[in-house]
Amino acid sequence: MSWQENSSNYSLKKFWHSIILAGSFWILSISMTTLGGSVAAFSGCALAYYLINSAHTKKAIRLFRTSILLGIYAGIFLLGLAFSEFLVDTKPLAQSLSPIVTYQFGEITRWFTMSFACGLFLRTFAVRQIYGPILEILFVATAFVFTLAAHRNGMIHRPFFIGDFAQIRGIDPSVILLTFGCGAVLTLSALLVLEQSGKRLLYHFSTLIMLCLSLFFYVNLFGLPTPQTTDSMGLTGREAGTNSQNENPFRDGENENSDREAPVAVVVFRDDYEPLNGAYYFRESAYSQFNGIMLDYSNIDGMDPDLIRLFPQDRTETSNPPPGREQHQLTRTTVGMLVPHKNPFGLESPVIYQNRTNPNNLRFKRTYDTYSLAPQYELEYLLNRETGDDGWSEEILAEYLKIPDDDRYKTLAMELLAELKPEFKEDPFAKAWTIKAYLDENGIYSLKNQHAYESDPAASFLFGDLTGYCMHFSFAATYLFRSVGIPARVGIGYSVPAANRSGGSALLVQAIHGHAWPEVYFKGIGWVIIDPAPQQTLVDMTTDPQDTLQQMLGDMLRNEGSFQEFLNSQRKPYFDATTIINTAYLIIIAILTMAYLIKAYRLSAPRLLANDKNGRLRFRAILDRLASIGIHRRLGESRERFALRACSIAPSITRVTEMHLALALGKDKKIGLKEEWQNFESAVKEEIKLNTNWRSKILALLNPFSWLLTK
Amino acid sequence: MTTNGTESSEREFIKAQEVLLKLQTIVKQQVLGRDNIIELAIISLVADGHILLEDFPGSGKTTLAKALGEAIESEDITTESTIPFRRIQFTPDLLPSDVTGVSIFDTKTDKFHFRHGPLFAHIVLADEINRTSPKVQSAMLEAMGEKQVTVDNTTYVLDELFFVIATQNPLDLVGTYPLPTPQLDRFLFKITMDHIDRAAELEVLDSIDERKRLLSNYDKVNRDDVLKARETIGGQIYISRTIKTALVDISRSLREDDRVLQGNSTRSMVLLLPALQARAALRGRNYVSSEDIENLIPEVLNHRIELVPGVNDFEKVLQDSMERPLDELAKSTLTK
Repeated sequence: MSWQENSSNYSLKKFWHSIILAGSFWILSISMTTLGGSVAAFSGCALAYYLINSAHTKKAIRLFRTSILLGIYAGIFLLGLAFSEFLVDTKPLAQSLSPIVTYQFGEITRWFTMSFACGLFLRTFAVRQIYGPILEILFVATAFVFTLAAHRNGMIHRPFFIGDFAQIRGIDPSVILLTFGCGAVLTLSALLVLEQSGKRLLYHFSTLIMLCLSLFFYVNLFGLPTPQTTDSMGLTGREAGTNSQNENPFRDGENENSDREAPVAVVVFRDDYEPLNGAYYFRESAYSQFNGIMLDYSNIDGMDPDLIRLFPQDRTETSNPPPGREQHQLTRTTVGMLVPHKNPFGLESPVIYQNRTNPNNLRFKRTYDTYSLAPQYELEYLLNRETGDDGWSEEILAEYLKIPDDDRYKTLAMELLAELKPEFKEDPFAKAWTIKAYLDENGIYSLKNQHAYESDPAASFLFGDLTGYCMHFSFAATYLFRSVGIPARVGIGYSVPAANRSGGSALLVQAIHGHAWPEVYFKGIGWVIIDPAPQQTLVDMTTDPQDTLQQMLGDMLRNEGSFQEFLNSQRKPYFDATTIINTAYLIIIAILTMAYLIKAYRLSAPRLLANDKNGRLRFRAILDRLASIGIHRRLGESRERFALRACSIAPSITRVTEMHLALALGKDKKIGLKEEWQNFESAVKEEIKLNTNWRSKILALLNPFSWLLTK
Repeated sequence: MTTNGTESSEREFIKAQEVLLKLQTIVKQQVLGRDNIIELAIISLVADGHILLEDFPGSGKTTLAKALGEAIESEDITTESTIPFRRIQFTPDLLPSDVTGVSIFDTKTDKFHFRHGPLFAHIVLADEINRTSPKVQSAMLEAMGEKQVTVDNTTYVLDELFFVIATQNPLDLVGTYPLPTPQLDRFLFKITMDHIDRAAELEVLDSIDERKRLLSNYDKVNRDDVLKARETIGGQIYISRTIKTALVDISRSLREDDRVLQGNSTRSMVLLLPALQARAALRGRNYVSSEDIENLIPEVLNHRIELVPGVNDFEKVLQDSMERPLDELAKSTLTK
């Protein structure tokens, strides 16, 4: 029966409970869906909680077994998923509403039904099973962990607003993350405290302790996890690794595009450079040596001497810069790696590597300058040029021409070259371009990879459905080039659309930009990228513009004072500590002075003012004296009752109260004798002096706010 | 003139106070350990209300009523049958005429002659009022409300000083007709009595003979003096507007309380005013104070408020409702 007596309290608790859970859904969803989707997730869960809270005691619901209810929820879940799929996939709908609206609509339905069903499930479990609320706690914990995990080790990741907020204001993002973590702990504790049953409370706290203990042991045994993102091309990883291809590069594509937009590095251009083919290529390494199965990093002396392997200790120049200075522009760039890489990479083709002081250890794993000889020739310039290099020995040239033991490469290549005009029949560039054009026209770009487990994935791709990603295209093209005697290799690194630079000098390299491309060596020019660009693609390779992040990281990396200035300019309104502290001091001092002045005024007012209406000022002064030693009227207490309580300290108060009330509530408004009031005031003063110890007296004198207690 | 006026009114006030104190003293000597209830009874008598005592048999109800009745004397009784004190024991077979009186045909004069019932008294003790049929209850309640009795279409006016002390046993409810809330509204106070404390109980046993002897020897209070005191108190005890504001606020906050099914009527507040004045007079004050409200409101409201089923703590509900208005009242003495 007691629930009725504090029903408002009860429903308030339920309300907070549902807000916490719905908030967790929201937090969980921000990194995975659109704004509409996360709002839908929030409202779905809130609705579910409202429904269960208001209906679970109803007879109709109580009749169902938990398992049946869970089945119903699963049905709702699946229906919602199916419906949202249907929305997104229905063509007429997309045509009439525009694809964006349909997509939004689909996201909203999906997240609403998902969180609605999950909310129903969690709440039903919680009200029916004694251990049910543990699921809720675990869910809240997971939601926070899931969202924050992407930011671990100070990485910048989705949801970007958390890190960006901190970066722009020059705060260490870990503070923000800690704040979020504290928020999580607080919400969890709130959830715990909201529980009313003592038995359940025990379960709750043991779960929390278990969570903490397992975290502690995990960190102690395995250490904190290091970021593992963006390894789709085998570019990133521990720096000290052996430079060999220990895994099939074709299988990397199976890493779904989960972290596609994660930033991996930022490049600042120190010299003006615009690529002629619409994309910046950053070479990290190359597969050039055929190892019997496929192309791999070469371990033969004299092969790929242009590559800079591992990270040198200090300034290093490549032993074999591309020839033909006039066709290249020496371009200086600064690279800041956000994720550890195996090798340094630089704008094609890097010739000088130089370490650089890291301006921000929290942000950059490694920073260095590269000087690159960036290509500056039109494609026509490559016509009528020979391939290969005079410095190459016979063995090396042979290595660059090795292909799998498969005649189909040569057959296909010859077939394609047969259509060449007679004047270009023997021109290596024309041959290469023809092969590239064939792949452009017939290849289909897709991250879905059917060929990974074939013995020769490139053959499976080339002579099969021609559907694959850059690895397939570049391997296929390289084999075709080599089959017709053009020395080629697969360059790997990043390829970033030139448009991404948006006019600034900084360029953000993201995981999605990881790329592999075929390269051909032309005499007097060096390695030339001939990158097939399939006209049909099944993947959306575009990214959201990250201009702010790009510029910010660039400024940070450039470290020429502008970033500090930027930070300072941002900081001033927020964090000028001295001004804030001084203002705070001033305000405090002003408040204290005001309080003391008011206190003194109220005590002396009866003497200062001739016209003490109804002896009210006297009475107030007496009450102020009592309040300063901690005796004041409580809420709802009548004056008589207070007098009764206070008369142990100051017995005169009873009589004074009577006089005061007679004047305040009585008919006659005549003022009592001034002397009588004065006598009472001094009597109370004496009594207080007599009945309190010296400590209370000092406190009474010092307390500036005691008069606030007089009511 | 004004001095004369104030002086005479002050004299009247003192006289009224004396009457009340005298009544209180007499009854206190007869009923031991029940000072609070005696005070409420006297307040009710002065405020022209009636009281309903709820307690077990043998707790001194009759003694209280009798002592009060015996303390009042009337010099010139207009109706020959109005006597100081009557007691009616209510039973299921009682008829309204047993209470009000009956017209009897006098064969000598060939006329109907009204024989006054037990209601024609100053103090009437209505014992176990919930045991009788609703018909009798309503006759009783008409008399209480209108101070008159109607028999055979003739209306007989009761004495101006007509005061009912009704009782009911809270436990033995079998075969009773509980009074519905509107009828309870006729009683100014409903007082639930506890057992008296140990010392008082011992004193009761010790002084039984002495008290019997004393009863006939009191210097009694004149009926007219009581009526005069009633008038004086009503006219002279000042009720400040802030006090009235507090009363209205308390009523309103009770009505708005979720735990209250039905709040108190405006009439209850109207009836409360003279009671507050009487209490102030008993305390020697010429104004009503918040202390009076605090003490009288529970007795006035506890039978007028219906709580939501499941909520039992009336005191808590009332405390919560009184907190704000009383705080405002206390604050206002410094600010207004």
